[in-house]
Amino acid sequence: MKWILFFGALIGPSICGREKFFGDQVFRINVRGGDEISKLSQLLNSDNFKLDVWKSPSAFSHPVDVLVPSVSLQPVKSFLKSQALQYSVTIADLQIYHEMDNIAGEFPDLAHRLKIGHSFENRSMYVLKFGTAEGRRRPAVWLNAGIHSREWISQATAIWTARKIVSDYGKDPAITSILEKMDIFLLPVANPDGYVYTQTKNRLWRKTRSLNSRSPCIGADPNRNWNSSFAGAGTSNNPCSEVYHGPHANSEVEVKSVVDFIQQHGNFKCFIDLHSYSQLLMYPYGYTVNKAPDAEELDEVARCAAKALASLSGTKYQVGPICTTVYPASGSSTDWAYDNGIKYAFTFELRDTGHYGFLLPANQIIPTAEETWLGLKTIMEHVRDHLY
Amino acid sequence: MQPRRPPPPAPGPPRPAAPLLALPLLLLAVQGAAAPAGPEAAEWRPDTGPPHGLLRQAARAALHFLNFRAGSPSALRVLAAVQEGRARINAKKECTVDLVFTTERYNSEEGEESLGKCSARVFFRNRKPRPAVNVTCARLMEKTKRQQEDYRLYKQMKQLRNPLDGVSIPDSHGHIDPSLRPVWELAFLGSSYVMWEKTTRFLHYYMAQLSGVKQWETNDGAIDFDYTVLLHEFSTQEIIPCRIHLVWSPGKPLTVKYHCQELLAPEDASGTEEGSAVAPTELSNF
Repeated sequence: MKWILFFGALIGPSICGREKFFGDQVFRINVRGGDEISKLSQLLNSDNFKLDVWKSPSAFSHPVDVLVPSVSLQPVKSFLKSQALQYSVTIADLQIYHEMDNIAGEFPDLAHRLKIGHSFENRSMYVLKFGTAEGRRRPAVWLNAGIHSREWISQATAIWTARKIVSDYGKDPAITSILEKMDIFLLPVANPDGYVYTQTKNRLWRKTRSLNSRSPCIGADPNRNWNSSFAGAGTSNNPCSEVYHGPHANSEVEVKSVVDFIQQHGNFKCFIDLHSYSQLLMYPYGYTVNKAPDAEELDEVARCAAKALASLSGTKYQVGPICTTVYPASGSSTDWAYDNGIKYAFTFELRDTGHYGFLLPANQIIPTAEETWLGLKTIMEHVRDHLY
Repeated sequence: MQPRRPPPPAPGPPRPAAPLLALPLLLLAVQGAAAPAGPEAAEWRPDTGPPHGLLRQAARAALHFLNFRAGSPSALRVLAAVQEGRARINAKKECTVDLVFTTERYNSEEGEESLGKCSARVFFRNRKPRPAVNVTCARLMEKTKRQQEDYRLYKQMKQLRNPLDGVSIPDSHGHIDPSLRPVWELAFLGSSYVMWEKTTRFLHYYMAQLSGVKQWETNDGAIDFDYTVLLHEFSTQEIIPCRIHLVWSPGKPLTVKYHCQELLAPEDASGTEEGSAVAPTELSNF
C-alpha cells in the first residue's frame, strides 16, 4: 500500500466541484492477471487521484478505461510504470466529447449525438445532429471539422458552434428558420487519432495514424483521400509526405465513415469543411483549374459569407476556387461532396494568416468562432432559400 | 548567467563591415542580384494580369529579405496587401515580378494602423530557391523609437536565464510568456533569412514554433543564441525543422548560420539525409 500513499501525496488537496475537463485524459489499462487487477483496483479505489472508471475491470485481458484528471496525470503514469501496467491514451482532451454529451442531454428535442463509425485506433466518431423533425430525411447540412488534427481552431470552432446552435434556436430568427427546413450534422473531430496525437506527442501532426504496409511512415492525409480525382495534382504517393493520398480512395476509415453516412442519408445539400490557417473561403475545384458549373453562384455566396464574417471584427477572408486560391489539391472532401450532388460545398481556412498559424492563441477562439458563425449562417440561409 | 559557447571547430565567419543605409525617408533600399538579360518570352496579358498568388509570393520573398537586412527585431514587417504588380517569364522559366504592396508591423499593438508602402522587384529562378530581391519601403517606424525598442529587447534577452531548451515557444495553445517574447521576435528575424533563402516561385514558409533555445555569453556583449525553428512549408504542408545560430547586436547586421532537415524522412528518424546551407554573413556579393 506504501506506493499508493506515496503517489497520493504528490497530488495536493482534493479536487472539488470540477466542471471543466480540460487536460483530462482517458487511459486504457491492460490487465493480464489477477495480480494486475488487484493492483489496479487499489489505484482506482484510492481517493487521492479522483479516478473515474469508464469500463470496469472484470475479467482477464479486458482493458479498463479510466478517466484521469489532468492534475493526476503525472503520478498515475508513474504508478502504472512502477507496477509495469501497460496503458494507452484513448481520449486526450475530453472537453469536446463531454460538451457534445451535455448539449445532447440538455436539448434532447433538438440535438442528438450519433456514432457514425470509428477511427483507425478504434476511437468513436461522434456527430451531433440538430433537427426539429423526427424520422424524415430532410435536406441537410454537413459541418466537418478537425480533419487535419493540428488545426485546433477548427475543432474548437465546431464545438462552440454546436453550443451556439442550441442556444440560439428559438431566439435567433436565422438559425430557427434554417432548422425549420433542414437538419444540421456537425462532426467536430473528424480525425480523432490525429487529435490525440497532437495533444500527447506531436502538436503539428496533420494526418491520420493508420499504418502503411510498406513504409515506417504513418498516416495518410485525410483530405486527399476522398474519391474525387484521387491521386491527382497536389497529392503525393509517398507515405512519408504530409499530403500522402493513401493506398486508395476511402482507405482511411475516418473518411469512409463520413462518405458512407452521407451517401446512405442521400439528401445533403451543403457540405462545409473547416480548416486553418490562411483566412480563405473557397469552393470547388481543388483538383483542376476548370470552373465548376456552379462557380458563379458559389462565388457570390462565398463573398456574401466573407462579408458577413468581416462585419464582426474586420477579419478579411479571400474568396475563390480552391485550386487557384490556395493550391491544387485532389481527393479533397469539398470536391467529393460537390461531385456527388452536394452543390453548396465550401472550405474555410480559419484564422490567422501566419503569425501564429496552427498555434492560434486561446483568446482568439471565441472571436474566430463568432465571426465564422456569421459566415456559416449566410451560407445556410442561402441553402435554405435555394433548396433543390 | 549564460554559459559560454564552446569554440567552433573552424574559424568563424568574418564580421560584416558594411553599415546599413539610413536615409530619412527610405528605411531600406536593397539591391539583390540583377536579373540576367535574356529574351522575355511570356508576359501576362493586360486583361488577365499575373496570378494573384504569384504577386503574394513575391511580396513574401521581398519581406523576408527586407526584414533580415533591416536587422531590427522591433521593426519586422508582414504583408498587408498587394496593390499592383506585373510579371514576366523568360524562356528559362525564370520569373521577374515587379510589385507594390503595403505592410504592417509584425508585432503591432492593438489599433495600430501604419501601412508602410513598399515597391519591389523579385527575380525567381526556375524552381530554385533564394530569389533575388530589390526592395524599397517607406519608413514604418521612427528611427530613434526603433533603436530604443531594439535596445530594450536586447536588454530583455540578456536578462533571460537558461535553461530554455525544454520550452516551446509558443506552447501548444499559442501562448508566449511575455518574458519570452524577445526570443520569438529575434528568432523571427533570424528565420527570415532562412525563409528568404528557401522561398521559390512555388514554395513559401511560416514560422510555426521554436524549441531548443540556448543562449551563450559573448565577449563583445552581442546576443548569441541557438534555436530550432519548425517552418511550415506551403504547399507541401511539410514541417521543416531548422537549427539556427544567430548573432545580433542592436544597430549591427545580423549573422545567421542554419541547417535544415530537407528531405522527407521516416518519422522519428534523426537526420540521416540532411540538406545543409551555411549562410554567408554579408550579402554584398550580389
